[in-house]
Amino acid sequence: MLHKLSPSQKVLAYACLVLLAILILFPIYYMLTVSLKTNRDIYRVPSLLLPNPTLMNYVELLGRRGFAVNMRNSLIVAGSATVISVFISCLAAYSLVRLRYRGRTWIGRLILFSYLTPASLLFIPLAVIINRLQMGNTLHGLIFTYLTFAAPLSTWLLMGFFRNVPVDLEEQAMVDGATRLQALFRILLPVAAPGLVAVSVFTFTGAWNELLLALIFTTSPEIRTVPVALQYLITGDVFRWGLIMAGAVVAAVPVMTLYYLSQRFVVQGLAAGAVKT
Amino acid sequence: MLMARPATLQSPVRASRISLSKRTSLLGYALVAPVVICLLILVVYPFIFGVTISFTNREIGTEGQFVGLANFIYLSKVPSFQKAIVNTIVLVGTVQTMKLVFGLGIALLLNQAIRARQFWRGLILLPWAMPAFVAYLTWKLLYLPQGGAFNIIAVGLGFGNIDFLSRELAMPSVILATFWRGFPFWVISFLAALQSVPQEQYEAAAIDGANAWQRFRHITIPGILPVVLVVVLLSTIWTTNSFENVWLITQGGPSDATMTFPVLAYFGLQTLRIGEAAAVSVAMLPVFVMMAFIGVKLLERNQE
Repeated sequence: MLHKLSPSQKVLAYACLVLLAILILFPIYYMLTVSLKTNRDIYRVPSLLLPNPTLMNYVELLGRRGFAVNMRNSLIVAGSATVISVFISCLAAYSLVRLRYRGRTWIGRLILFSYLTPASLLFIPLAVIINRLQMGNTLHGLIFTYLTFAAPLSTWLLMGFFRNVPVDLEEQAMVDGATRLQALFRILLPVAAPGLVAVSVFTFTGAWNELLLALIFTTSPEIRTVPVALQYLITGDVFRWGLIMAGAVVAAVPVMTLYYLSQRFVVQGLAAGAVKT
Repeated sequence: MLMARPATLQSPVRASRISLSKRTSLLGYALVAPVVICLLILVVYPFIFGVTISFTNREIGTEGQFVGLANFIYLSKVPSFQKAIVNTIVLVGTVQTMKLVFGLGIALLLNQAIRARQFWRGLILLPWAMPAFVAYLTWKLLYLPQGGAFNIIAVGLGFGNIDFLSRELAMPSVILATFWRGFPFWVISFLAALQSVPQEQYEAAAIDGANAWQRFRHITIPGILPVVLVVVLLSTIWTTNSFENVWLITQGGPSDATMTFPVLAYFGLQTLRIGEAAAVSVAMLPVFVMMAFIGVKLLERNQE
Protein backbone atom coordinates (compact mmCIF):
# COMPACT_ATOMS: atom_id res chain seq x y z
CA MET A 1 0.00 0.00 0.00
CA LEU A 2 2.91 2.34 -0.67
CA HIS A 3 0.89 4.84 -2.66
CA LYS A 4 1.58 8.58 -2.48
CA LEU A 5 -0.24 10.46 0.25
CA SER A 6 -2.13 13.63 -0.51
CA PRO A 7 -0.81 16.79 1.26
CA SER A 8 -3.62 16.80 3.83
CA GLN A 9 -3.10 13.11 4.56
CA LYS A 10 0.58 13.84 4.98
CA VAL A 11 -0.05 16.54 7.59
CA LEU A 12 -2.33 14.18 9.48
CA ALA A 13 0.18 11.32 9.27
CA TYR A 14 3.06 13.41 10.61
CA ALA A 15 0.87 14.92 13.32
CA CYS A 16 0.05 11.39 14.50
CA LEU A 17 3.71 10.42 14.42
CA VAL A 18 4.75 13.45 16.47
CA LEU A 19 2.08 12.69 19.08
CA LEU A 20 3.31 9.12 19.17
CA ALA A 21 6.91 10.27 19.61
CA ILE A 22 5.87 12.40 22.59
CA LEU A 23 3.96 9.49 24.14
CA ILE A 24 7.00 7.25 23.75
CA LEU A 25 9.74 9.69 24.69
CA PHE A 26 8.17 11.62 27.54
CA PRO A 27 8.42 8.85 30.19
CA ILE A 28 12.00 8.17 29.15
CA TYR A 29 12.85 11.87 29.31
CA TYR A 30 11.33 12.18 32.79
CA MET A 31 13.15 9.08 34.02
CA LEU A 32 16.47 10.58 32.87
CA THR A 33 15.85 14.01 34.38
CA VAL A 34 14.74 12.62 37.75
CA SER A 35 17.83 10.42 37.88
CA LEU A 36 19.87 13.63 37.57
CA LYS A 37 18.03 15.53 40.31
CA THR A 38 18.57 15.87 44.03
CA ASN A 39 15.79 14.66 46.30
CA ARG A 40 15.11 18.26 47.25
CA ASP A 41 14.55 19.29 43.64
CA ILE A 42 12.22 16.36 43.03
CA TYR A 43 9.81 17.18 45.88
CA ARG A 44 10.28 20.85 46.80
CA VAL A 45 10.03 22.42 43.38
CA PRO A 46 8.52 19.75 41.12
CA SER A 47 9.36 20.60 37.54
CA LEU A 48 9.54 18.93 34.16
CA LEU A 49 12.87 20.67 33.58
CA LEU A 50 16.28 20.03 35.04
CA PRO A 51 17.51 23.12 36.88
CA ASN A 52 20.50 21.66 38.78
CA PRO A 53 21.74 18.49 37.09
CA THR A 54 23.87 16.28 39.31
CA LEU A 55 25.39 12.80 39.11
CA MET A 56 24.97 12.38 42.86
CA ASN A 57 22.38 9.59 42.53
CA TYR A 58 24.62 7.53 40.27
CA VAL A 59 27.59 7.99 42.59
CA GLU A 60 25.56 6.92 45.61
CA LEU A 61 23.97 3.99 43.78
CA LEU A 62 27.19 2.49 42.53
CA GLY A 63 29.24 3.44 45.56
CA ARG A 64 27.43 3.23 48.87
CA ARG A 65 24.45 1.13 47.73
CA GLY A 66 26.59 -1.59 46.19
CA PHE A 67 24.54 -1.66 43.03
CA ALA A 68 27.60 -3.02 41.22
CA VAL A 69 27.06 -6.30 43.09
CA ASN A 70 23.49 -6.50 41.78
CA MET A 71 24.70 -5.76 38.27
CA ARG A 72 27.31 -8.49 38.61
CA ASN A 73 24.68 -10.97 39.84
CA SER A 74 22.40 -10.13 36.93
CA LEU A 75 25.26 -10.48 34.47
CA ILE A 76 26.22 -13.89 35.86
CA VAL A 77 22.64 -15.15 35.94
CA ALA A 78 21.56 -13.82 32.54
CA GLY A 79 24.88 -14.68 30.88
CA SER A 80 24.98 -18.27 32.16
CA ALA A 81 21.31 -18.91 31.46
CA THR A 82 21.84 -17.65 27.91
CA VAL A 83 24.94 -19.75 27.20
CA ILE A 84 23.41 -22.95 28.60
CA SER A 85 20.04 -22.40 26.99
CA VAL A 86 21.37 -21.47 23.56
CA PHE A 87 23.77 -24.42 23.56
CA ILE A 88 21.25 -27.12 24.48
CA SER A 89 18.61 -25.47 22.29
CA CYS A 90 20.90 -25.60 19.24
CA LEU A 91 21.24 -29.35 19.69
CA ALA A 92 17.50 -29.82 20.23
CA ALA A 93 16.47 -27.58 17.34
CA TYR A 94 18.89 -29.36 15.01
CA SER A 95 17.54 -32.72 16.10
CA LEU A 96 13.91 -31.67 15.61
CA VAL A 97 14.41 -29.97 12.27
CA ARG A 98 16.93 -32.24 10.55
CA LEU A 99 16.52 -35.75 11.96
CA ARG A 100 13.54 -38.05 11.54
CA TYR A 101 12.59 -40.28 14.44
CA ARG A 102 9.57 -41.42 16.39
CA GLY A 103 7.96 -39.04 18.88
CA ARG A 104 9.51 -35.99 17.24
CA THR A 105 6.16 -34.21 16.81
CA TRP A 106 5.29 -34.79 20.46
CA ILE A 107 8.61 -33.46 21.66
CA GLY A 108 8.02 -30.40 19.48
CA ARG A 109 4.62 -29.97 21.13
CA LEU A 110 6.08 -30.36 24.61
CA ILE A 111 8.49 -27.53 23.86
CA LEU A 112 5.76 -25.32 22.47
CA PHE A 113 3.49 -26.05 25.40
CA SER A 114 6.31 -25.21 27.84
CA TYR A 115 6.88 -21.97 25.98
CA LEU A 116 3.24 -21.04 26.52
CA THR A 117 3.17 -22.05 30.19
CA PRO A 118 3.30 -18.85 32.24
CA ALA A 119 5.67 -18.43 35.17
CA SER A 120 2.78 -17.33 37.39
CA LEU A 121 1.45 -20.87 37.16
CA LEU A 122 4.77 -22.48 38.01
CA PHE A 123 6.38 -20.26 40.61
CA ILE A 124 4.84 -21.86 43.70
CA PRO A 125 5.76 -25.48 42.88
CA LEU A 126 9.14 -24.26 41.59
CA ALA A 127 9.80 -22.57 44.93
CA VAL A 128 9.18 -25.88 46.71
CA ILE A 129 11.36 -27.83 44.27
CA ILE A 130 14.24 -25.35 44.37
CA ASN A 131 14.26 -25.43 48.16
CA ARG A 132 14.22 -29.20 48.15
CA LEU A 133 17.21 -29.21 45.79
CA GLN A 134 18.93 -26.84 48.26
CA MET A 135 19.26 -24.22 45.53
CA GLY A 136 17.17 -21.53 47.24
CA ASN A 137 18.93 -18.19 47.63
CA THR A 138 21.72 -19.06 45.21
CA LEU A 139 22.60 -17.71 41.80
CA HIS A 140 22.80 -21.17 40.23
CA GLY A 141 19.27 -21.87 41.46
CA LEU A 142 18.14 -18.82 39.49
CA ILE A 143 20.15 -19.81 36.43
CA PHE A 144 18.55 -23.24 36.58
CA THR A 145 14.97 -21.96 36.90
CA TYR A 146 15.44 -19.43 34.11
CA LEU A 147 15.83 -22.36 31.74
CA THR A 148 12.05 -22.83 32.16
CA PHE A 149 11.37 -19.92 29.86
CA ALA A 150 14.72 -19.66 28.06
CA ALA A 151 15.04 -23.19 26.67
CA PRO A 152 11.60 -23.56 25.03
CA LEU A 153 11.81 -20.07 23.55
CA SER A 154 15.34 -20.54 22.17
CA THR A 155 14.52 -23.96 20.75
CA TRP A 156 11.34 -22.75 19.11
CA LEU A 157 13.00 -19.71 17.52
CA LEU A 158 16.09 -21.65 16.43
CA MET A 159 13.90 -24.26 14.75
CA GLY A 160 12.51 -21.46 12.59
CA PHE A 161 15.97 -20.20 11.71
CA PHE A 162 17.40 -23.68 10.99
CA ARG A 163 14.47 -24.54 8.77
CA ASN A 164 15.32 -21.58 6.55
CA VAL A 165 18.86 -22.84 5.92
CA PRO A 166 18.97 -25.16 2.87
CA VAL A 167 19.82 -28.70 3.93
CA ASP A 168 22.14 -29.12 0.89
CA LEU A 169 24.99 -27.29 2.58
CA GLU A 170 25.23 -29.81 5.39
CA GLU A 171 24.75 -32.78 3.09
CA GLN A 172 27.60 -31.53 0.96
CA ALA A 173 29.84 -31.37 4.02
CA MET A 174 28.81 -34.87 5.07
CA VAL A 175 29.60 -36.18 1.62
CA ASP A 176 33.03 -34.69 2.11
CA GLY A 177 33.40 -36.76 5.27
CA ALA A 178 32.08 -34.48 8.03
CA THR A 179 30.03 -36.08 10.80
CA ARG A 180 26.56 -34.76 11.57
CA LEU A 181 27.78 -32.81 14.58
CA GLN A 182 30.58 -31.27 12.55
CA ALA A 183 28.03 -30.30 9.93
CA LEU A 184 25.94 -28.69 12.68
CA PHE A 185 28.78 -26.72 14.26
CA ARG A 186 30.86 -25.84 11.22
CA ILE A 187 28.19 -25.34 8.56
CA LEU A 188 24.71 -24.77 9.97
CA LEU A 189 25.53 -22.58 12.98
CA PRO A 190 27.68 -20.08 11.06
CA VAL A 191 25.00 -19.76 8.39
CA ALA A 192 22.29 -19.33 11.04
CA ALA A 193 24.42 -16.83 13.00
CA PRO A 194 21.90 -13.95 12.75
CA GLY A 195 19.33 -16.26 14.31
CA LEU A 196 21.73 -17.19 17.09
CA VAL A 197 22.31 -13.50 17.81
CA ALA A 198 18.57 -12.79 17.96
CA VAL A 199 17.92 -15.79 20.21
CA SER A 200 20.82 -14.89 22.53
CA VAL A 201 19.58 -11.31 22.85
CA PHE A 202 16.06 -12.48 23.68
CA THR A 203 17.26 -15.02 26.21
CA PHE A 204 19.66 -12.61 27.86
CA THR A 205 17.13 -9.80 28.15
CA GLY A 206 14.45 -12.21 29.35
CA ALA A 207 16.68 -13.35 32.21
CA TRP A 208 17.95 -9.82 32.91
CA ASN A 209 14.39 -8.51 33.22
CA GLU A 210 12.89 -11.32 35.30
CA LEU A 211 11.47 -10.13 38.62
CA LEU A 212 8.92 -12.61 40.02
CA LEU A 213 11.09 -15.73 40.36
CA ALA A 214 14.11 -13.69 41.46
CA LEU A 215 11.99 -12.01 44.12
CA ILE A 216 10.89 -15.36 45.51
CA PHE A 217 14.18 -17.26 45.30
CA THR A 218 16.63 -14.67 46.62
CA THR A 219 16.48 -13.83 50.27
CA SER A 220 19.80 -12.17 51.08
CA PRO A 221 20.73 -8.73 49.68
CA GLU A 222 24.12 -9.80 48.31
CA ILE A 223 22.60 -12.18 45.79
CA ARG A 224 19.78 -9.93 44.61
CA THR A 225 19.58 -9.31 40.89
CA VAL A 226 19.00 -5.81 39.50
CA PRO A 227 15.17 -5.92 39.26
CA VAL A 228 14.91 -7.24 42.82
CA ALA A 229 17.30 -4.61 44.18
CA LEU A 230 15.25 -1.86 42.56
CA GLN A 231 11.93 -3.22 43.79
CA TYR A 232 13.34 -3.18 47.34
CA LEU A 233 14.18 0.50 46.83
CA ILE A 234 10.50 1.27 46.11
CA THR A 235 9.03 -0.91 48.84
CA GLY A 236 11.38 0.51 51.45
CA ASP A 237 10.28 3.20 53.91
CA VAL A 238 11.93 6.20 52.30
CA PHE A 239 11.31 6.75 48.64
CA ARG A 240 14.43 7.89 46.88
CA TRP A 241 13.16 8.40 43.38
CA GLY A 242 16.37 9.95 42.11
CA LEU A 243 18.23 6.87 43.23
CA ILE A 244 15.57 4.48 41.86
CA MET A 245 15.60 6.16 38.45
CA ALA A 246 19.40 6.16 38.36
CA GLY A 247 19.16 2.40 38.96
CA ALA A 248 16.55 2.09 36.24
CA VAL A 249 18.78 3.89 33.77
CA VAL A 250 21.82 1.78 34.66
CA ALA A 251 19.70 -1.40 34.37
CA ALA A 252 18.18 -0.40 31.02
CA VAL A 253 21.30 0.79 29.23
CA PRO A 254 23.08 -2.56 28.65
CA VAL A 255 19.92 -4.29 27.47
CA MET A 256 18.79 -1.47 25.22
CA THR A 257 22.26 -1.14 23.71
CA LEU A 258 22.20 -4.84 22.96
CA TYR A 259 18.81 -4.43 21.30
CA TYR A 260 19.94 -1.59 19.16
CA LEU A 261 23.11 -3.29 18.02
CA SER A 262 21.17 -6.34 16.97
CA GLN A 263 17.96 -4.60 15.91
CA ARG A 264 18.01 -6.06 12.41
CA PHE A 265 18.18 -9.62 13.69
CA VAL A 266 15.77 -8.97 16.52
CA VAL A 267 13.03 -7.72 14.22
CA GLN A 268 13.68 -10.70 11.97
CA GLY A 269 13.42 -12.99 14.97
CA LEU A 270 10.17 -11.34 15.97
CA ALA A 271 8.74 -12.02 12.57
CA ALA A 272 10.00 -15.60 12.83
CA GLY A 273 8.38 -16.59 16.03
CA ALA A 274 7.03 -14.00 18.44
CA VAL A 275 8.59 -13.56 21.81
CA LYS A 276 7.85 -13.64 25.47
CA THR A 277 8.24 -10.30 27.21
CA MET B 1 23.67 -33.12 -4.83
CA LEU B 2 21.20 -35.81 -5.70
CA MET B 3 23.95 -37.76 -7.36
CA ALA B 4 26.01 -37.61 -4.24
CA ARG B 5 23.44 -39.05 -1.87
CA PRO B 6 23.69 -42.74 -2.71
CA ALA B 7 27.44 -42.55 -2.19
CA THR B 8 27.00 -41.82 1.52
CA LEU B 9 24.53 -44.66 1.89
CA GLN B 10 26.94 -47.10 0.36
CA SER B 11 29.98 -45.95 2.28
CA PRO B 12 31.47 -48.78 4.34
CA VAL B 13 30.93 -47.02 7.68
CA ARG B 14 27.15 -47.10 7.30
CA ALA B 15 26.67 -50.63 6.20
CA SER B 16 22.90 -50.82 5.87
CA ARG B 17 19.89 -48.52 5.73
CA ILE B 18 18.46 -49.93 8.94
CA SER B 19 21.47 -49.27 11.10
CA LEU B 20 21.73 -45.81 9.58
CA SER B 21 18.19 -44.90 10.53
CA LYS B 22 18.70 -46.38 13.99
CA ARG B 23 21.83 -44.34 14.39
CA THR B 24 19.94 -41.23 13.27
CA SER B 25 17.16 -41.85 15.80
CA LEU B 26 19.63 -42.38 18.61
CA LEU B 27 21.47 -39.19 17.73
CA GLY B 28 18.13 -37.40 17.48
CA TYR B 29 17.10 -38.47 20.98
CA ALA B 30 20.54 -37.72 22.39
CA LEU B 31 20.54 -34.17 21.02
CA VAL B 32 17.02 -33.33 22.15
CA ALA B 33 17.44 -34.98 25.57
CA PRO B 34 19.00 -32.06 27.51
CA VAL B 35 16.15 -29.70 26.67
CA VAL B 36 13.51 -32.37 27.24
CA ILE B 37 14.98 -33.32 30.64
CA CYS B 38 15.12 -29.65 31.61
CA LEU B 39 11.49 -29.15 30.71
CA LEU B 40 10.39 -32.32 32.48
CA ILE B 41 12.07 -31.11 35.69
CA LEU B 42 11.24 -27.43 35.38
CA VAL B 43 7.87 -27.29 33.63
CA VAL B 44 6.03 -30.61 33.45
CA TYR B 45 6.77 -31.81 36.99
CA PRO B 46 6.09 -28.41 38.65
CA PHE B 47 2.91 -28.11 36.60
CA ILE B 48 1.56 -31.45 37.87
CA PHE B 49 2.95 -30.81 41.35
CA GLY B 50 1.24 -27.39 41.44
CA VAL B 51 -2.11 -28.87 40.53
CA THR B 52 -1.65 -31.56 43.19
CA ILE B 53 -0.81 -29.17 46.02
CA SER B 54 -3.79 -27.00 45.19
CA PHE B 55 -5.94 -29.87 46.51
CA THR B 56 -4.05 -30.06 49.81
CA ASN B 57 -3.76 -27.91 52.91
CA ARG B 58 0.00 -27.86 52.57
CA GLU B 59 1.93 -25.12 54.35
CA ILE B 60 5.64 -24.35 54.15
CA GLY B 61 7.43 -27.08 56.10
CA THR B 62 4.55 -29.57 56.15
CA GLU B 63 3.44 -32.10 53.59
CA GLY B 64 -0.26 -31.31 53.92
CA GLN B 65 -3.27 -33.54 53.40
CA PHE B 66 -5.72 -33.96 50.58
CA VAL B 67 -8.64 -31.62 51.18
CA GLY B 68 -10.47 -31.95 47.88
CA LEU B 69 -11.97 -28.73 46.60
CA ALA B 70 -11.76 -26.97 49.97
CA ASN B 71 -9.19 -24.41 48.79
CA PHE B 72 -11.25 -23.50 45.77
CA ILE B 73 -14.47 -23.25 47.78
CA TYR B 74 -12.69 -21.08 50.31
CA LEU B 75 -11.20 -18.87 47.58
CA SER B 76 -14.53 -18.38 45.85
CA LYS B 77 -15.73 -16.65 49.04
CA VAL B 78 -12.68 -14.41 49.39
CA PRO B 79 -13.36 -10.84 48.14
CA SER B 80 -9.77 -10.45 46.85
CA PHE B 81 -10.23 -13.49 44.66
CA GLN B 82 -13.46 -12.20 43.15
CA LYS B 83 -11.78 -8.84 42.60
CA ALA B 84 -8.86 -10.60 40.92
CA ILE B 85 -11.18 -12.32 38.42
CA VAL B 86 -12.95 -9.10 37.47
CA ASN B 87 -9.74 -7.03 37.40
CA THR B 88 -7.82 -9.53 35.31
CA ILE B 89 -10.62 -9.60 32.73
CA VAL B 90 -10.94 -5.80 32.67
CA LEU B 91 -7.18 -5.24 32.48
CA VAL B 92 -6.50 -7.80 29.76
CA GLY B 93 -9.63 -6.94 27.77
CA THR B 94 -8.94 -3.20 27.72
CA VAL B 95 -5.19 -3.41 27.15
CA GLN B 96 -5.49 -5.91 24.32
CA THR B 97 -8.24 -3.94 22.58
CA MET B 98 -6.10 -0.79 22.80
CA LYS B 99 -3.07 -2.63 21.45
CA LEU B 100 -5.06 -4.07 18.58
CA VAL B 101 -6.58 -0.74 17.52
CA PHE B 102 -3.51 1.45 18.01
CA GLY B 103 -1.06 -1.25 16.94
CA LEU B 104 -2.83 -1.77 13.64
CA GLY B 105 -3.29 1.97 13.12
CA ILE B 106 0.38 2.74 13.74
CA ALA B 107 1.52 -0.19 11.59
CA LEU B 108 -0.65 1.03 8.70
CA LEU B 109 0.78 4.52 9.19
CA LEU B 110 4.37 3.30 9.16
CA ASN B 111 3.65 1.21 6.10
CA GLN B 112 2.99 4.40 4.10
CA ALA B 113 5.52 6.38 2.10
CA ILE B 114 6.71 8.52 4.99
CA ARG B 115 10.16 9.97 5.56
CA ALA B 116 12.72 8.23 7.77
CA ARG B 117 10.74 5.03 8.25
CA GLN B 118 13.68 3.26 9.84
CA PHE B 119 13.93 6.03 12.44
CA TRP B 120 10.27 5.74 13.38
CA ARG B 121 10.49 1.99 13.65
CA GLY B 122 13.47 2.28 15.98
CA LEU B 123 11.59 4.82 18.06
CA ILE B 124 8.52 2.57 18.34
CA LEU B 125 10.67 -0.26 19.66
CA LEU B 126 11.95 1.81 22.60
CA PRO B 127 9.31 0.95 25.23
CA TRP B 128 9.60 -2.71 24.41
CA ALA B 129 13.39 -2.80 24.37
CA MET B 130 13.27 -1.41 27.89
CA PRO B 131 13.15 -3.97 30.68
CA ALA B 132 9.57 -4.30 31.98
CA PHE B 133 10.56 -3.43 35.54
CA VAL B 134 12.27 -0.23 34.35
CA ALA B 135 9.20 0.75 32.34
CA TYR B 136 6.80 0.18 35.24
CA LEU B 137 9.01 1.91 37.80
CA THR B 138 9.11 4.90 35.46
CA TRP B 139 5.31 4.93 35.15
CA LYS B 140 4.96 4.70 38.91
CA LEU B 141 7.14 7.83 39.05
CA LEU B 142 4.96 9.60 36.47
CA TYR B 143 1.86 8.89 38.58
CA LEU B 144 3.30 10.00 41.93
CA PRO B 145 1.14 12.51 43.79
CA GLN B 146 4.31 14.35 44.85
CA GLY B 147 6.93 14.98 42.17
CA GLY B 148 5.14 12.92 39.50
CA ALA B 149 5.21 14.39 36.00
CA PHE B 150 1.48 13.98 35.35
CA ASN B 151 0.64 15.95 38.46
CA ILE B 152 3.01 18.72 37.51
CA ILE B 153 1.18 18.91 34.18
CA ALA B 154 -2.28 18.63 35.79
CA VAL B 155 -1.48 21.45 38.23
CA GLY B 156 0.04 23.51 35.40
CA LEU B 157 -3.14 23.12 33.37
CA GLY B 158 -5.24 24.15 36.35
CA PHE B 159 -6.79 20.76 37.19
CA GLY B 160 -5.17 20.73 40.60
CA ASN B 161 -3.64 17.63 42.15
CA ILE B 162 -5.00 14.37 40.73
CA ASP B 163 -4.38 11.12 42.60
CA PHE B 164 -3.63 8.74 39.72
CA LEU B 165 -3.16 5.85 42.13
CA SER B 166 -6.47 6.31 43.96
CA ARG B 167 -9.14 3.63 44.02
CA GLU B 168 -10.92 5.04 41.00
CA LEU B 169 -7.90 5.82 38.85
CA ALA B 170 -5.43 3.06 39.79
CA MET B 171 -6.80 0.59 37.24
CA PRO B 172 -6.77 3.02 34.28
CA SER B 173 -3.24 4.00 35.34
CA VAL B 174 -2.05 0.39 35.31
CA ILE B 175 -3.81 -0.15 31.97
CA LEU B 176 -2.11 2.84 30.33
CA ALA B 177 1.36 1.75 31.54
CA THR B 178 0.78 -1.84 30.40
CA PHE B 179 -0.34 -0.58 27.00
CA TRP B 180 2.72 1.68 26.67
CA ARG B 181 5.16 -1.11 27.35
CA GLY B 182 3.37 -3.73 25.21
CA PHE B 183 2.18 -2.02 22.01
CA PRO B 184 5.54 -2.01 20.11
CA PHE B 185 5.48 -5.79 19.85
CA TRP B 186 2.11 -5.55 18.08
CA VAL B 187 3.22 -2.74 15.77
CA ILE B 188 6.37 -4.57 14.67
CA SER B 189 4.55 -7.87 14.15
CA PHE B 190 1.73 -6.17 12.22
CA LEU B 191 4.27 -4.32 10.07
CA ALA B 192 6.03 -7.56 9.18
CA ALA B 193 2.66 -9.07 8.29
CA LEU B 194 1.61 -6.08 6.18
CA GLN B 195 4.82 -6.29 4.21
CA SER B 196 4.25 -9.94 3.43
CA VAL B 197 0.92 -9.20 1.68
CA PRO B 198 1.64 -9.39 -2.09
CA GLN B 199 1.69 -5.94 -3.70
CA GLU B 200 0.14 -7.28 -6.93
CA GLN B 201 -3.13 -7.98 -5.13
CA TYR B 202 -3.49 -4.27 -4.33
CA GLU B 203 -2.65 -3.30 -7.88
CA ALA B 204 -5.16 -5.79 -9.31
CA ALA B 205 -7.83 -4.56 -6.89
CA ALA B 206 -7.10 -0.93 -7.76
CA ILE B 207 -7.55 -1.74 -11.45
CA ASP B 208 -10.85 -3.44 -10.65
CA GLY B 209 -11.91 -0.19 -9.01
CA ALA B 210 -11.81 -1.23 -5.35
CA ASN B 211 -11.65 1.74 -2.96
CA ALA B 212 -9.26 2.00 -0.01
CA TRP B 213 -11.72 0.50 2.47
CA GLN B 214 -12.54 -2.41 0.17
CA ARG B 215 -8.83 -3.11 -0.36
CA PHE B 216 -8.29 -3.06 3.39
CA ARG B 217 -11.29 -5.25 4.06
CA HIS B 218 -10.67 -7.89 1.36
CA ILE B 219 -6.88 -7.94 0.94
CA THR B 220 -5.16 -6.51 4.03
CA ILE B 221 -7.29 -8.16 6.71
CA PRO B 222 -7.21 -11.71 5.28
CA GLY B 223 -3.50 -11.25 4.47
CA ILE B 224 -2.45 -10.39 8.02
CA LEU B 225 -5.00 -12.48 9.92
CA PRO B 226 -2.72 -15.46 10.72
CA VAL B 227 -0.13 -13.16 12.30
CA VAL B 228 -2.76 -11.12 14.11
CA LEU B 229 -4.22 -14.27 15.67
CA VAL B 230 -0.83 -15.44 16.95
CA VAL B 231 0.04 -12.01 18.34
CA VAL B 232 -3.32 -11.62 20.08
CA LEU B 233 -3.07 -15.05 21.62
CA LEU B 234 0.55 -14.90 22.79
CA SER B 235 0.20 -11.40 24.12
CA THR B 236 -3.02 -12.34 25.94
CA ILE B 237 -1.23 -15.20 27.69
CA TRP B 238 1.62 -12.90 28.76
CA THR B 239 -0.61 -10.01 29.79
CA THR B 240 -2.86 -12.28 31.85
CA ASN B 241 0.20 -13.49 33.70
CA SER B 242 2.22 -10.32 33.98
CA PHE B 243 3.19 -9.49 37.51
CA GLU B 244 5.47 -6.45 37.25
CA ASN B 245 2.89 -4.06 35.83
CA VAL B 246 0.62 -4.36 38.85
CA TRP B 247 3.21 -5.17 41.49
CA LEU B 248 5.53 -2.26 40.81
CA ILE B 249 2.83 0.37 40.28
CA THR B 250 0.16 -0.45 42.88
CA GLN B 251 0.92 -3.83 44.51
CA GLY B 252 -2.69 -4.73 43.82
CA GLY B 253 -4.06 -1.79 45.83
CA PRO B 254 -5.51 0.45 46.96
CA SER B 255 -7.81 -2.04 48.70
CA ASP B 256 -7.68 -4.64 45.90
CA ALA B 257 -8.62 -2.09 43.21
CA THR B 258 -5.93 -3.52 40.92
CA MET B 259 -5.59 -7.05 42.35
CA THR B 260 -4.88 -9.63 39.64
CA PHE B 261 -4.22 -13.37 39.70
CA PRO B 262 -0.41 -13.36 39.66
CA VAL B 263 -0.22 -10.74 42.43
CA LEU B 264 -2.77 -12.60 44.54
CA ALA B 265 -0.81 -15.84 44.12
CA TYR B 266 2.37 -14.01 45.17
CA PHE B 267 0.63 -12.69 48.30
CA GLY B 268 -0.61 -16.23 48.91
CA LEU B 269 2.94 -17.51 48.92
CA GLN B 270 3.86 -14.81 51.49
CA THR B 271 1.27 -16.27 53.89
CA LEU B 272 3.11 -19.62 53.58
CA ARG B 273 -0.17 -21.47 52.96
CA ILE B 274 1.03 -22.84 49.64
CA GLY B 275 -1.98 -25.12 49.10
CA GLU B 276 -4.22 -22.07 48.93
CA ALA B 277 -1.67 -20.05 46.97
CA ALA B 278 -1.33 -22.78 44.37
CA ALA B 279 -5.12 -22.93 44.10
CA VAL B 280 -5.11 -19.28 42.98
CA SER B 281 -2.86 -20.14 40.03
CA VAL B 282 -4.67 -23.38 39.30
CA ALA B 283 -8.00 -21.52 39.17
CA MET B 284 -6.81 -19.91 35.93
CA LEU B 285 -5.81 -23.27 34.52
CA PRO B 286 -8.89 -23.95 32.35
CA VAL B 287 -8.53 -20.61 30.57
CA PHE B 288 -4.80 -21.02 30.23
CA VAL B 289 -4.98 -24.59 28.90
CA MET B 290 -7.51 -23.54 26.32
CA MET B 291 -5.32 -20.65 25.17
CA ALA B 292 -2.23 -22.87 25.10
CA PHE B 293 -3.95 -25.48 22.94
CA ILE B 294 -5.11 -22.87 20.46
CA GLY B 295 -1.61 -21.39 20.60
CA VAL B 296 0.10 -24.69 19.80
CA LYS B 297 -2.24 -25.19 16.85
CA LEU B 298 -1.73 -21.68 15.48
CA LEU B 299 2.04 -21.68 15.91
CA GLU B 300 2.45 -25.12 14.36
CA ARG B 301 0.37 -24.03 11.40
CA ASN B 302 2.31 -20.78 10.98
CA GLN B 303 5.67 -22.48 11.07
CA GLU B 304 4.83 -24.80 8.18
